[in-house]
Amino acid sequence: MQWMTLFRKEMIENWRNKKWIWVPIVFILLASMDPVSNYYLPQIIESVGGLPEGTVIELPDFAPSEVVMMSLGQLSSLGVLVVTLMSMATIAGERKSGVLELILVKPVAYRNYITAKWTVLIILVWVSLLLGMLGSWYYINILYGELSIQSMLLVVLFYGLWLTLVVSVSIFFNTLFKTPGIVAFLSIATIIFMSVVTQIFSHILEWSPNNLTLYIMEMLQTESIPSELIWTAIVTIIISIGLLIAAIITLRTKELAN
Amino acid sequence: MQEIIDSINWAIVTPILIIQGLLALVALLDLAKAESTNGSKWMWVFIIVLANTIGPIIYFIIGRSRD
Repeated sequence: MQWMTLFRKEMIENWRNKKWIWVPIVFILLASMDPVSNYYLPQIIESVGGLPEGTVIELPDFAPSEVVMMSLGQLSSLGVLVVTLMSMATIAGERKSGVLELILVKPVAYRNYITAKWTVLIILVWVSLLLGMLGSWYYINILYGELSIQSMLLVVLFYGLWLTLVVSVSIFFNTLFKTPGIVAFLSIATIIFMSVVTQIFSHILEWSPNNLTLYIMEMLQTESIPSELIWTAIVTIIISIGLLIAAIITLRTKELAN
Repeated sequence: MQEIIDSINWAIVTPILIIQGLLALVALLDLAKAESTNGSKWMWVFIIVLANTIGPIIYFIIGRSRD
């Protein structure tokens, strides 16, 4: 009951600050940009000019699965940046401005407060991802060749877990620091650090969440779900839940100390 | 140049242009209704209109003042 109230408050707030409009639009643009621009690359190169007469530019014909990976590549860099920036103030901002104290005057459980925020962000990110990849799917089918909607939905399902982890990392740092800039910086630094560690210890960290896109590519190419993908997905979910619990504990101890 | 413009399949490009326009429009409407922003309003109008896609995003992330 209390959770629903917090959930609704958060939904309304994200509607008022237009996150429900601009985040999906940005995801659609990010995911559709590469399929379209790569298709028109020959024309773009031609119109920019500067090449000697008679130059033949051989560009590879991309398979639909390769184009999906291009879209995911955009989401992994700029998409992750957008997710961290739009979530950097979700708790930190309320702590800084004192709204949190107003909320916690009432007997609000910390776990309700944090999980409501987390859920709203997750829904927002998943809906944005779904719309974005549908845009990408639309262009792939027009420009590159057939790609089934089932495989695209599987891509959304597994890639969504990666963004879930990003949101969880951001929520965790939200409870540690009051300055939104620091929260965003540390979230991005953590994700970069994770990818470096995954690359260095690639033989041990087979199921690191950073490998999700790798296995998604494998899934698209072999048209079956590799077992590594399942295990990586499970590890990602466990880390996300762990971060969420850590966030609840951190906020509780921080606020009680004040 | 003309033939390049003709060669573009507008059925493909139009949805993207519409979505970009929508993003800028929402940002401008939000800006018009906002009581105050971080930085002057006119500066944000220019950023939203001139910097395609990136402008509205930057406005939503750092331009809106938290209330």
